[in-house]
Amino acid sequence: MLSALEGSQALAQAVGLCRPGVVAAYPITPQTHIVENISKLVADGRLRCELVSVESEFSAASVALGAAASGVRAYTASSSQGILLMAEVLYNISGMRIPMVMTCANRAVGAPLNIWNDQQDSMAVRDSGWIQLYCADNQEAVDTTIQAFRIAERTEVPVMVCVDGFVLTHTLEPIDLPTQEQVDRFLPPYHFSRALDSRNPLSLGTCVDPSFFTEARHSQHQAVLRATTEIMAADRDYAGIIGRSGGGLLSVVGPAEADVAILALGSVCSTVQESMQLFPQDRPVKLIKLRAYRPFPMAALREVLQGVRDLVVLERAIAPGSGGIVGMEVRSLATTLTQLPRIHNYAVGLGGRDVPIEIYPRLVEAITRADEPAWFEIFDLEPEKLPVEDR
Amino acid sequence: MLVLTRGGYALPGTSTDFKTGTWRTSRPQHQHWAAPCHSACPAGEDAQAYIAQVQENHPREAWETIVTVNPLPSVTGRICPHPCEQACNRGSFDTPLAIHSIERFLGDEARRQGWTYPVDPGRGAGAAVAVVGAGPAGLSAAYHLRRRGYQVTLFDALPEAGGLLRSAIPINRLPRDVLDADITRILGLGIEFRGRTRLGVDVHIDELRSDYRALFLAPGTAKAKAWSVDGAVPTDHRTALELLQEWVAAGSLPTPQSVILHGGGNTALDLCRAMKRAGVKEVHLVTASGLPGPGTEPDDIINVVPRELNQAVEEGITIHPHRTIQRLLFRGSKVVGVEMVALRKLPTKSGRTGRIAFEGTETLLHADMVIPAIGENVEPTGFSTLLGGKEYFRPNNPFGRLDHTPGVFVGGDARGDRGTVSAAIGDGRLAAIAIDAYIRQGDDPEENGRDTIDFAHINLNYFEPAPRVEEPILPVAERTDTAEIDGPLSGAAITREAARCFSCGNCLACDNCWTFCPDNAVIKTTALAKDGSHYVFDYEYCKGCGVCASECPCGYIVMNPE
Repeated sequence: MLSALEGSQALAQAVGLCRPGVVAAYPITPQTHIVENISKLVADGRLRCELVSVESEFSAASVALGAAASGVRAYTASSSQGILLMAEVLYNISGMRIPMVMTCANRAVGAPLNIWNDQQDSMAVRDSGWIQLYCADNQEAVDTTIQAFRIAERTEVPVMVCVDGFVLTHTLEPIDLPTQEQVDRFLPPYHFSRALDSRNPLSLGTCVDPSFFTEARHSQHQAVLRATTEIMAADRDYAGIIGRSGGGLLSVVGPAEADVAILALGSVCSTVQESMQLFPQDRPVKLIKLRAYRPFPMAALREVLQGVRDLVVLERAIAPGSGGIVGMEVRSLATTLTQLPRIHNYAVGLGGRDVPIEIYPRLVEAITRADEPAWFEIFDLEPEKLPVEDR
Repeated sequence: MLVLTRGGYALPGTSTDFKTGTWRTSRPQHQHWAAPCHSACPAGEDAQAYIAQVQENHPREAWETIVTVNPLPSVTGRICPHPCEQACNRGSFDTPLAIHSIERFLGDEARRQGWTYPVDPGRGAGAAVAVVGAGPAGLSAAYHLRRRGYQVTLFDALPEAGGLLRSAIPINRLPRDVLDADITRILGLGIEFRGRTRLGVDVHIDELRSDYRALFLAPGTAKAKAWSVDGAVPTDHRTALELLQEWVAAGSLPTPQSVILHGGGNTALDLCRAMKRAGVKEVHLVTASGLPGPGTEPDDIINVVPRELNQAVEEGITIHPHRTIQRLLFRGSKVVGVEMVALRKLPTKSGRTGRIAFEGTETLLHADMVIPAIGENVEPTGFSTLLGGKEYFRPNNPFGRLDHTPGVFVGGDARGDRGTVSAAIGDGRLAAIAIDAYIRQGDDPEENGRDTIDFAHINLNYFEPAPRVEEPILPVAERTDTAEIDGPLSGAAITREAARCFSCGNCLACDNCWTFCPDNAVIKTTALAKDGSHYVFDYEYCKGCGVCASECPCGYIVMNPE
């Protein structure tokens, strides 16, 4: 049944359906509504869960870490600088192979101070060893959150569900929430094999010296790579029970044989998709919605990029001094294709700049006109707003 | 091949596999030092130990600790010059503990409550030992021998035991009911007292040596030292001890208009005060020693109980420190005054210090009477052969064992370098230990080799300044020959005073080492701690950081290089 829900409300209810044992969070815009709504569920007696108010994101992640290590489902959420304050703990959680789920309500990272949406925060911790799943709309966010617990529990790799701040978190959408019974079937109670138990003590976070650290890293890398299987399996099983897919590793919109492709992550996919319907072009174009950024789905991507001649990679973040973050990885992967596409790497919508509904025809025009593909450009840059020497 | 666990998990207890003890270059160890008060006590009292028991509100146990070495705490608590207090580390912080007050309180409390001496006379029963002289040295020896199970006979020329305590200490310093009660209790342990028995007259040393397995001689010093000034002696000259003993026994004193006493001990001071109270207008004390204060070395201070000195000055005694009498002034054969000259303790040509008179500092002092109080020698009647013509016995060991005369031991003032009741009590105890070893043909007793802890080892961060208790003292106008001048203190005041003790070199059981150890290498256990503390070190994990040693308030933990 559909109901009109703000993204944050929908996410809170999705988390509640997963029966978490502990939720710990510290408020930061635009994540705040998610935890407020979970808090309300607890206060209203609709969710039995330990809600821990903490004094910082560091503690929020640490409390969730401890709770998950003791074997309960644990959840936290944050944004922007809060994600960065958690960074150390995020590495600890993944390195200790502790299954838990968090939402990153994506927001720009200061300075300059900016509360609006881009994906700089989650990109900054892309190498922390967490699975990262990006959601194109709030229905995907709900479905992905529920799937994330199963993925985390089966892989023992933590999952970060990336949901664009404001664009998704503060926007009302008709949402189809699964029933508790459906979610319980999909996500049965689980037993963490290494759960902390005072009767059978274990040490976690121990020192691993040079003779084993290399192997520890290799094992973590393999675990995240192999998570592709669990991500696909979770989506398939979820579809079997609930009747809807969350988007797999990636999904393609438009004709499969199109030789022009646009690759994007998060809500900008929905904008491009809408734009493609409103402004059809002569040339066939397909949209590649990259849902799993970590693990980076190399096989699936190679498959959908086969035969593509022009590939647009849209970024909501930037690696200053290098350029596109996703673009660089896609470019690297593309070298293994039989035919190397022209890759146009653009950043759009940094710090909440509106991605307009005309984005699709403008992109097509830009790549058609270009003699050489853009190695990296900020697509919606207005250079006249800068002093001449800073342009 | 060791296989890595997922996420680096480990089985429990891995941190205990890190034997941080292997990092150590120096190890903390408990060092039970001698507290300065203990080292300074001629009687051998461990004040720190009994004060700790007072802190724990165990006064009886505290008293028992004292009487294992000194059976007369209510006497020494009153009249000892308490070198323990001069040595007290607390003196470098605020003021020394009033150790004498605590000692006196415990002695009085024992008498009041009828606590019995913890004496078990089982061992060595049957062997008979004679003790000659029932002063503090003889009483102490008899007591310690009795504690060891010997049959003790205590001889004295006087009808009652007590020696100088009875014959020469003013009653207002040592009430006789206090002395009588303690002596009665000591003799009541089964010691045979034979008064009116003078050595060499009523009993002979050869007799004693054949009738008893061992003999302790504590005859004291009864023969006044020869005194003259440049060969001159007043015709009416009497010694201070003689006068003091007459006054104590009969209450009578000569009362000239003015008097000069020459000397620097308690006898001189006691007589000064008695004469002043008896009506002598001007009482002068001429002494080679100095008064406490800047410019006077500790070993140059007049050797009297410090508070007695204050009281004497209050009462109007004029003290002439660092002076000696160079000449007596006569009118005919009658003395009318003295010429004094300034003295200083200075290094002499031999390299040792000596008292040097300064020419040109002569002053005249008129008086109707001059009384020497320069000390006494041993009265050798009955054992002059043993003494061999010397003024004192000078055995070369602390136990008083005489070479060439097996089974004969000496102690107390007769050794010549003692001079306090505490030293006499210490001599009696050491002699008893040595006599026990002699009779049992055991090894020579060993001396306690503990080092004395100094002030620098005390961690002052753990102590607050606190005022010292002072006993109530009768105002000058109310002082008489009989009423005790220094009053008693309450149990509460004593407990408060005991709480000031630094517990130098001993475990306070404060838990600092246990709390601060970063490796949990201090284990709190009274079951395993065998050294009087509550803790043991776990050297498997102690990495030798020294935090315990630096945070021990009492200097009980020291770091020893490995």
